[in-house]
Amino acid sequence: MPEKGKIDSKQAVLLMISMILPTAILTIPAVTVKTARQDAWLSVMVATLAGLLIARLVVSLSLRFPGQTLFEFSEEILGKALGKMVGFLYIWLFFLYIGSGVVREFGVFLVTAVMPATPIIVFLIVVTAVAGYAVRNGLEVLCRFNQLFIPVTGLLVIVFLLSTLDMKLDRLLPVFDAGLAPIVKSAVTPTMWLGEIVTLAMIIPYLSKPKEAHRVAVLSILITGFFLTASIMEALLIFGPNLTGHWIFPTFNATRVVSIANFLERLEFIVIMAWVLGGIVKVGVFYYAVVLGSAQCLGLRDYRPLVLPVGVILVALSILLHGENIVEVLHYIPHVEVPFLLIVFEVGIPLLLLIVALVRGKGGKSN
Amino acid sequence: MRKKIAILLLLFFLIGLLGGCWSRREITEVAIIMGTGVDWTADDRIRLTVQIAKPGDFGAGGEAGAGGKEPPAWVVWAEGKTIEEAERYLAMKVPRDIYWGHSVILVLGEEMAKKGTGMVTNFFHRSRGPRETMWFMVTRGEAKDILETHSELAKTSAQAAGFLTRMETSYAVQSREFAEMLASKGVQPVVTGVEVKETGKAHGPGQENPPVEKEVKLSGVAVFKEDKLIKWLDEHETRGLLWLKGEVKKGAVTVPSPGEPEKEVSIKIRRSSTKIVPEYDGENLWFNVMINVEGDMVEQQSREDLAKPEKIKALESAMAGEIKARAAEALEKAQREYGVDIFGFGDAFHRKYKKEWRELKNRWDEEFSRADVNIAVEAHVREIGLLTTRASTPEE
Repeated sequence: MPEKGKIDSKQAVLLMISMILPTAILTIPAVTVKTARQDAWLSVMVATLAGLLIARLVVSLSLRFPGQTLFEFSEEILGKALGKMVGFLYIWLFFLYIGSGVVREFGVFLVTAVMPATPIIVFLIVVTAVAGYAVRNGLEVLCRFNQLFIPVTGLLVIVFLLSTLDMKLDRLLPVFDAGLAPIVKSAVTPTMWLGEIVTLAMIIPYLSKPKEAHRVAVLSILITGFFLTASIMEALLIFGPNLTGHWIFPTFNATRVVSIANFLERLEFIVIMAWVLGGIVKVGVFYYAVVLGSAQCLGLRDYRPLVLPVGVILVALSILLHGENIVEVLHYIPHVEVPFLLIVFEVGIPLLLLIVALVRGKGGKSN
Repeated sequence: MRKKIAILLLLFFLIGLLGGCWSRREITEVAIIMGTGVDWTADDRIRLTVQIAKPGDFGAGGEAGAGGKEPPAWVVWAEGKTIEEAERYLAMKVPRDIYWGHSVILVLGEEMAKKGTGMVTNFFHRSRGPRETMWFMVTRGEAKDILETHSELAKTSAQAAGFLTRMETSYAVQSREFAEMLASKGVQPVVTGVEVKETGKAHGPGQENPPVEKEVKLSGVAVFKEDKLIKWLDEHETRGLLWLKGEVKKGAVTVPSPGEPEKEVSIKIRRSSTKIVPEYDGENLWFNVMINVEGDMVEQQSREDLAKPEKIKALESAMAGEIKARAAEALEKAQREYGVDIFGFGDAFHRKYKKEWRELKNRWDEEFSRADVNIAVEAHVREIGLLTTRASTPEE
């Protein structure tokens, strides 16, 4: 087995939060508010429910095959050839795709909002290198890194609380203004983000108590959903539905508004810190899924030789895949990539695998 | 173990070097902009005027004496087709990197505001430097003149204007709030108005003819239709606007003394709230506005004994009447004369009648001008200060 480390359930929850949240907090508010306007927070609640269903599906599937990752049990369910094909699809079209997308978004945010003079490639290489170093040292190291820095994400709560002075509850009214359709429609993007919980299927075998996987998944989704709702509410309550959707990063702008007694202001550095540290972990998790999955697909005993080449591929794809400029990035990721990834990799294939497993009677009884 | 600690310490001290020099800008190399002004010139170009802080003079700037002390700010301007173009021409005159992050105010000249704010504000929202919390204001005249004024109390006139706005005596708008009002169909923007006022200067012996100084003064609000300035409200009408918008946080109401109507009584406002309740039956549109206010009686010119429950009741009803009259005045002007909903009645309507709003929103200003508005004021006087009656109150 390429991975020998074990992590406990708390670490897993924190890892899953860091895996979903950093990019979600910055990109989702603008996308959802554009369609659902002041009801965007309801969209996120719908998405959270959908996320719980996806989590349930993935964990049930995974628990039927104790000690096996997504790549191993798909081979067992579908047979060697088909299983390997599914595995390769996941590597190339899901983990690498999202991973490189995150690397790109990481750079895009820093260049757009903070350091315009720095070439984006610097950020892309740096984040991949740091994440690669953690991945090379194994899952446990990645988790401990995350545990060390996730309190910074907690600082966001303080920023949200400080910004209450600039909030007006009226900006959320009327509820259900545009009707149900836009709410459901704009729930698609956050659902995809929360659906990244599929990655948990790579980690369940290394939980010290795999039986708690359901709890891990539910807790991760609920906490992430809460933070996501809070960030959307923050932006909406400060800017109102007409303005929020027009910022590229509404949460970032919302923290710029905080000014307590003309003294405590310019708190956006907290968002940037959360983004940089969380971004590293997020890249790390997908990076890890790619190298571990590839090692298992190819039948390698150790995944470490793959870390460097995969890192190179991640950086290259982050530039090649997601459009040439920020306009294309903002268009492709939420409107083209998201629905595809959601339907095929987060719901479609896991559901198919579960059905086939049930029909063929593979795997133990799900707990 | 010791070796590990040594390595860790070494790494820790490396942090100091890792900060790096990419995009490094020392304070002596940046031009910190305190205030920004935009004018529309006679030959149809945008003139960008900025007030740049002179950090070296900031420390000593406030000290008295020394006569002709240099002001701690420098005002420069440049013209261009867009703000960015003007900024680049400006960069040819300013020998430092232009830094927007500390700009306190964004002031538009009257001509620029009439031409449309759309040509101005985008730059300030798109760029990373300027903050969303910049105070937004319009001057009756040229923005350049506002920035060229001086301030006795603040370091620069831009800061003075910012502080004046923050005192909440007039209607204060941040640039993000202006953008929000502009984007909403249920309210038309209003913006703080400022003007240049000439003041004398304290003079001592040997200074018989002190130079005339110019300072910034708040002056009502500018009323917009979409992004174009159409009219002004004076200070008096601005109070009415604030009552209807529920933005009265400070101020006083002066009413005739109940027993001696020729003398006045002033009530200082403690807190107030305004509630707009729209009613719509498919044809008729009317609004019930409820204003709740609490205040302290702080001054009486009359000699009668006001410290009696029935007198306080009389004061309260006089106060309610005065506030209602003020609000009605501003309402009348907005509805009949200007024909724009500057109070956010549309937003209130939207919150209650979301389906009907879809039909009305595109002709909201006409609907608003036709609507009936009932204003009800409930006023309370809570405190009367440290005196009950005046010592000279005649005994009954």
